[in-house]
Amino acid sequence: MVKDGDYVAIFNSIHRVMEAERLLKDKSLKILLIPAPRALAADCGLAIRYAEEIRGEVEAALAEAGLLPRDLYRKNGEEFVKIGEEK
Amino acid sequence: MNSLDVRGMACPLPVVSVKRALESAEGELRVLLDDGAPRENVKRFVQGRGYQVQEEQLEDGFAFTISGAGSGAGKGQAAPVERSGATVMLIGSDRLGDGAEELGRLLMKNFIITLLDMTELPDRIFFLNSGVLLVAQGSEVIEALVELGNRGVEVLSCGICLDFYKKKELLAAGGVTNMFTIAESMLQARSVVRL
Repeated sequence: MVKDGDYVAIFNSIHRVMEAERLLKDKSLKILLIPAPRALAADCGLAIRYAEEIRGEVEAALAEAGLLPRDLYRKNGEEFVKIGEEK
Repeated sequence: MNSLDVRGMACPLPVVSVKRALESAEGELRVLLDDGAPRENVKRFVQGRGYQVQEEQLEDGFAFTISGAGSGAGKGQAAPVERSGATVMLIGSDRLGDGAEELGRLLMKNFIITLLDMTELPDRIFFLNSGVLLVAQGSEVIEALVELGNRGVEVLSCGICLDFYKKKELLAAGGVTNMFTIAESMLQARSVVRL
């Protein structure tokens, strides 16, 4: 469900992830609420997946609504690289 | 040759009528039927029982010539239930569990996508009632269901239910089936997982 280059945003509560999903869908952004990949620890087990092309819009909308994710990852090949901690 | 006209019959009557006719008929059976779900369901049913089917397109529907002994029970009696060893999953709603609707929808979506991580998959998943909303265009689990199909899971939806929710033309994953096949498949299954 997560392709190479996709972003995966992890939130720290079910309410925040559902609110974020609603907000982004209302803006017709092509995101998908998915089970958090096993490699990534998520309290609520859910994450939001989006593609590089809409990253700017997604993150701007989340920031504006005070709903920034706890962690953000990008899938590089088989690995998830945490954004902000890239080598 | 015995013949049977099931054109215009509502699902699952075409399959049920063909089944009865095969149980009592000797030799070949010619069946006239509508295109679409009746054609697909009857074909799947008879082929699943070991019969050969020759199709012929008519001006008004299709004609099947069904021959061969079939693997079911002998003529004139109902087929005994043979365990297929399959694991069948029944999804009768677009929501998982009771409680908040929004949470229920989210959990169902989460469940279906999570199936992709399982090493042992169900052989068949039937979608009924509002469960068929999950297989129609606009559903967020289409990608996951198509992938499950690619991994050999048969994804089948109740035709009446698709019709009721006006999603017949919007089916985006798997095929259409009828209650006869659903009931038979459940009774023959090694295990039935009902959500």
